[in-house]
Amino acid sequence: MIGTKLVLLLYIAFCFVRAEGSSIDLAVLTFLLYFCINITLYIFKHTTIKRLFLIGSICITVAAYSMVHPIFSILLPLSIVELAAGFIEQKFIHLLVSIIPIFYIQETFQPIYGLVAIFCFMLYSVTTSFHYMQVKDEAQMDSMRKAMGKLTKRVNENTEYIRQSEYTFKLEERNRISQEIHDKIGHSMTGALFQMEAAKRLLETDPGKAAELLQNVIQISKEGIENIRLTLKNMKPPTEQVGIHRLKLMIDDVNAKQPIKTVLTYEGNLDVISPIQWKIIHENITEALTNAMKYSQATLVSVDLKVLNKLVRVEVRDNGVGTDTIKKGLGIIGMEERTAAVDGTMIVDSTHGFSVTTLLPI
Amino acid sequence: MNVLEIKNVTKKFADFIAVDNMSLAVAEGEIFGFLGANGAGKSTTINMIAGLLRCNDGIISILGKNSAKHSRFAKMNLGMVPQDLAIYEDMTAYENVKFFAGLYGLRGAELHDLVVEALEFVGLQDKHKSYPNSFSGGMKRRLNIACAIAHRPKLIIMDEPTVGIDPQSRNYILNSVKKLNEMGCTIIYTSHYMEEVEEICSRIAIIDHGKIIAEGTKEQLKSLITNTKDLWIEVKSSENLNIQAIKEIPGVEAVSIEEYFIKINSDTGVNNLNKIIEHLINNGIEIRGLQEKAPNLETVFLTLTGRNLRDQ
Repeated sequence: MIGTKLVLLLYIAFCFVRAEGSSIDLAVLTFLLYFCINITLYIFKHTTIKRLFLIGSICITVAAYSMVHPIFSILLPLSIVELAAGFIEQKFIHLLVSIIPIFYIQETFQPIYGLVAIFCFMLYSVTTSFHYMQVKDEAQMDSMRKAMGKLTKRVNENTEYIRQSEYTFKLEERNRISQEIHDKIGHSMTGALFQMEAAKRLLETDPGKAAELLQNVIQISKEGIENIRLTLKNMKPPTEQVGIHRLKLMIDDVNAKQPIKTVLTYEGNLDVISPIQWKIIHENITEALTNAMKYSQATLVSVDLKVLNKLVRVEVRDNGVGTDTIKKGLGIIGMEERTAAVDGTMIVDSTHGFSVTTLLPI
Repeated sequence: MNVLEIKNVTKKFADFIAVDNMSLAVAEGEIFGFLGANGAGKSTTINMIAGLLRCNDGIISILGKNSAKHSRFAKMNLGMVPQDLAIYEDMTAYENVKFFAGLYGLRGAELHDLVVEALEFVGLQDKHKSYPNSFSGGMKRRLNIACAIAHRPKLIIMDEPTVGIDPQSRNYILNSVKKLNEMGCTIIYTSHYMEEVEEICSRIAIIDHGKIIAEGTKEQLKSLITNTKDLWIEVKSSENLNIQAIKEIPGVEAVSIEEYFIKINSDTGVNNLNKIIEHLINNGIEIRGLQEKAPNLETVFLTLTGRNLRDQ
């Protein structure tokens, strides 16, 4: 736009020099005033101020038209179009409005005025539509970038989840096997060993007793082998052990590292909680505890896990300041999404301290 | 067909989310109860269903038609008894009902018949010439109901119609809700009195913080929490009691004795009260009192949300 105005000014200056005779001082003053106004105009963002400047610019042009030289009228259409664009949507009306002054100016300048008006209008509408397209493109780019960010995050989360569950499963399996080995097979082997030692000593003095002991050893070994077979076959991990133990560990950890006292209570049959539910419970509790540390100014946080008839209910409640309006940040939305993924519900409440309740169907 | 269907509806008031991505369906012939504490989002939901508020997101369909697009159709099929009385004090009972029914385009003899019928239905036919300022709270409520039902809507919404009225009017209203339902109306009923909801509603949604926490028949809701109830039997002496024998009665899960109380935990699905009492009598144990501690909707609400329905 500035470019157009500059071109117009140059044209006027050219005409002016050629025409001669008029007062050059006033003309220069008008040039400078017009220049100042039309440059400062683009500095301001506020539409009202912009409009005021445009009106100022129009006034100067009119003044210059009547007092200095009629050629100044050709500066009018652009300012009018710019001003009109702020009020009226239809473009042809802009053109009409900018054409109107043609009836009031000297006849000699009417053709050039008309030409300039049409030229300005075309230029202006092309640039605005281009600008509009650009803004639209940018908005689209922006939303795509956001969507992309979200997707990447989700992919990362999923990989992290897979990695975590792999690790958990390995850990569970290892725990189970080592426990079984320790509890059953280890005991059988030690028992068998003792009895074999005894049988070896008794072999000469009391062969009958020795044979009896050996029979025992055979029996124990048989049982041991059976146990090994069972351990290898039994693929079902005692999830409730892993789940609640991990939870206890986590709470202990929080208690050791943070100034807030955290209490864990649980009741009901924890066996029915599936591994995926345990994962959600863990993550939601971690998130809720983090929130409590960050915002609540609480001194006590209670974590309550209840297995009801058809629901698992997990509540993390603090005795802190709470909040008047609950603003859902990424944390709470994340919890809601996780919970909703297994058809669960979340209640965030702030009437007595702050509490986050997760309900998962069994 | 579903009379009402709400899909992922959200309503925000500035920062406050009053209704949060709510979805539910109410089938024809149901009395559907909204149970929730004050400020849970019940009235907001109802105002959106009635078209008084616009939802920020989601779709509300009435009789299969999007209520935002077919608002006339929706309103014709809908009767609303608002929480605050909506009657004119300077018109008679008859004129009030006639005015509201007239809004639905009813005219002439048909209008008159329907108005009389509605007044009869709420038991105000004798008072049709009286002005509401001479009415008791309960009568005003009943008149309010008459205004909402005169045009024979398919779906009637009642937003806490029993707040602040005498027990007699309350019973009258509850009975008329049942009667309306028998006549084929689908009813949405909100209350924070769980006894009412428990008594009349065929299906219930527990609402908290703008979300449906649980939904189902009252039995389904109760069974979310537990399948057992506690039976406390006060006896003169528990000396002759054979705990093992009681445990063998079908449905009995656990038995304990505390001084003069025998506490029996039993399956709610099995009716074994007769057998338990019979057993006690046959063993010469004198029963002095009996208390049943079954879960009610209040317990369900308390257990799920950690808060009481009232006194927040």
